[in-house]
Amino acid sequence: MIRSANPLAQEPRYELIARVLRDNIVAGTLPQGFVLLEGPIATVMQTSRVPVQAALRQLLDDGLISRFDGRGYLVGSATAEVTPTRRDIRELELTIPPMVDDALQTRGTWRHVYDEVEEEVASCQIFGEFRIVETELADHLGVSRTVVRDVLARLQERGLIRKSATSHWIAGPLTARTVSEKFELRGIVEPAALRLAAPHIRYAEVEALLDRIGSDPAITPQDMGDVLMEHCIAQAPNTALVEMIRSNRLLLSAVDRALIRLGLPPDEDTIEQYQTLLDLISRHPIDSACEYLRDHLSITARRYLARMKIVAVIPEAGAFAPYLSPQ
Amino acid sequence: MYKAEDQTQLAAPPVVNRRILRVLGTSITLLQSVRDQARADLGFDIVFEQMDFLDCQRQAAMRPDGYDVYEQCFHNLDIVWFWGALQPIDIARIAEWNGISDLVKLGGLSKYAGRGRGDAPVKKLYIQPGGFLGSKPSRHISMLPTVHNMDSFGFDARVFGAGQDVRPSWAWLLDRRAKGRIALVDEPAIGFFDAALAAEASGELEFADIGNMTIDEINALMKLLERKRTEGYFCATWRDGDEAAALAEGGGVAVQSMWSPVYGKLRNSKAHFIEAAPIEGYRAWHGGASLSRHLRGAELDMAYDYLNWWLSGFAGAVMARQGYYISNPARARDHLLPEEWDYWYEGAVAARDLAGPTGDVVVKAGSRRAGGTYTDRARQIVIWNTVMDEYNYAARAWDRFVRRVQERGEA
Repeated sequence: MIRSANPLAQEPRYELIARVLRDNIVAGTLPQGFVLLEGPIATVMQTSRVPVQAALRQLLDDGLISRFDGRGYLVGSATAEVTPTRRDIRELELTIPPMVDDALQTRGTWRHVYDEVEEEVASCQIFGEFRIVETELADHLGVSRTVVRDVLARLQERGLIRKSATSHWIAGPLTARTVSEKFELRGIVEPAALRLAAPHIRYAEVEALLDRIGSDPAITPQDMGDVLMEHCIAQAPNTALVEMIRSNRLLLSAVDRALIRLGLPPDEDTIEQYQTLLDLISRHPIDSACEYLRDHLSITARRYLARMKIVAVIPEAGAFAPYLSPQ
Repeated sequence: MYKAEDQTQLAAPPVVNRRILRVLGTSITLLQSVRDQARADLGFDIVFEQMDFLDCQRQAAMRPDGYDVYEQCFHNLDIVWFWGALQPIDIARIAEWNGISDLVKLGGLSKYAGRGRGDAPVKKLYIQPGGFLGSKPSRHISMLPTVHNMDSFGFDARVFGAGQDVRPSWAWLLDRRAKGRIALVDEPAIGFFDAALAAEASGELEFADIGNMTIDEINALMKLLERKRTEGYFCATWRDGDEAAALAEGGGVAVQSMWSPVYGKLRNSKAHFIEAAPIEGYRAWHGGASLSRHLRGAELDMAYDYLNWWLSGFAGAVMARQGYYISNPARARDHLLPEEWDYWYEGAVAARDLAGPTGDVVVKAGSRRAGGTYTDRARQIVIWNTVMDEYNYAARAWDRFVRRVQERGEA
């Protein structure tokens, strides 16, 4: 097996891409108002689009880039004064440190490629059942079959794929039944974890977020969900339970991201619900928060099922990676 | 023809902004006579964009800026409403709201009448807290209920017989007597249920709730259809009335899904291709009109004018002449001849030849509508066109089946 000596080859590719873009924004090579597009960045970095998408999401969360009324992302914030600049990113001569460049081209370990495969494998499931062919995945990623097997083992462990009776790797289909079951499980384990976590919750972080609501328009439901998960639920002193919660959520959130990429409007109207919930957690007996969380999850489940029906109008053509064959 | 301009006018007419209302819909409601009359009555221009069910639904969901009013069926609100493409309709602005029947407001003809399975329109009618749709009355609705019908299938009397003794059953859509001459409508919320009704009626399968089938039930149905397909039962699928008419006229079809207006289009096959009143009951649907989310101010007013116009009688009468009912029949009656009302709504023998929406005779004197009166037919609704929880899964499986039927047709 070929292992790269470059320590960066262990890092996910999207981290490396995010790092390059971040450094170039800070240095001014990528000027304010410059329009970042997935495709050209993927060409410059010599990767597929998936890690580029993840990198851009990270920069968006960091507030270094923003969405605007057009395709792609804007460097800096989208205000009336900023005129979007559309130029080929290849003309800009981005600084890409040799170590990073080397790491991006080295396909050493499974960690390096895992996230993008997970994204693609999760999102294809809304279109039905797929078989993953090991050799085709290896070709697609440019890695050895050993690495592919590591990736597949991890996917199986996280419940995203399974072995068929004939020993083929199978993903999907994601059905309303799967979604209902996952939400039912969430309704059982997440309030239970929250109750266990009560003495360990990071109340200062929760309070800090609650204080920001109202004054900081940049807060998203996603931010609030993260605080709920990381600072509250995940503080439960039972690692097996927390791990179960994380892996049960995995498919749901990956599919949700896929739906937004396919053009569905994001699921809205939940900031108020999170606010009520976090408020209950920080200022009231934990039981009331657990009750509210249960209700909140059942409403979210209904919304999710409604969104699943919408997916039927999205045509399949070109929607999934080449190593996934429809069954 | 070119006409010379009138030279007698000295001054140019004042420039006015042309007011145009854009309506997206299907062949069910986008009829020339409706548009002409609405333009004349409302004083603004109206453009129609007509598509088949599936394309229309996709367009409505993904490009709401491309239309002002969306005319479709309640069952596909699950797609278009949840996409965020529409805005609520305020019933306070609907003059005829109180005239709209209980079939849509309650889900059955009366509080005690039976309800069909699946997406009865009332389940998608009222906007609930949190943006959901439900049956609990509120001031805002998702779609103004207009046209509706109880669908069945059509059959060749030379194959299945005719007269009082013949009891048409949905099972005929899988019947050996029609092997190789069966066609279904290609729409996963419609034709899928014709097939499901056939599977139950023939005793092949049983569904716990045909209106919300499980994955296993869907798999079982698709497996049955696939088996029948490989045995050569199906010859075609169709997406609009003209295709359905061509199949019946061509003589290659002995039984198929049918929509009411198609019977009026038949010529050579009219005598022997008959509308069924199935012993198991009907598959119903309810159409209506919705407002695009972008409408504001004067444009929104124009759209409300158009919606109100729809329930003012004329359009209801046009719909009746193609075999469809309107949600407030009393106003349509004002625009129908007594003989038309008696035939279409009362199930009476046609006292004279009756014209369809384009003026051609579609009903011969002496004939009678299958299934009887409006209320008799409405009582026999067993299922509504439905977008089930597992719709995404079912629609994709259905699509694969349809493609295989069509490949055989072309081969």
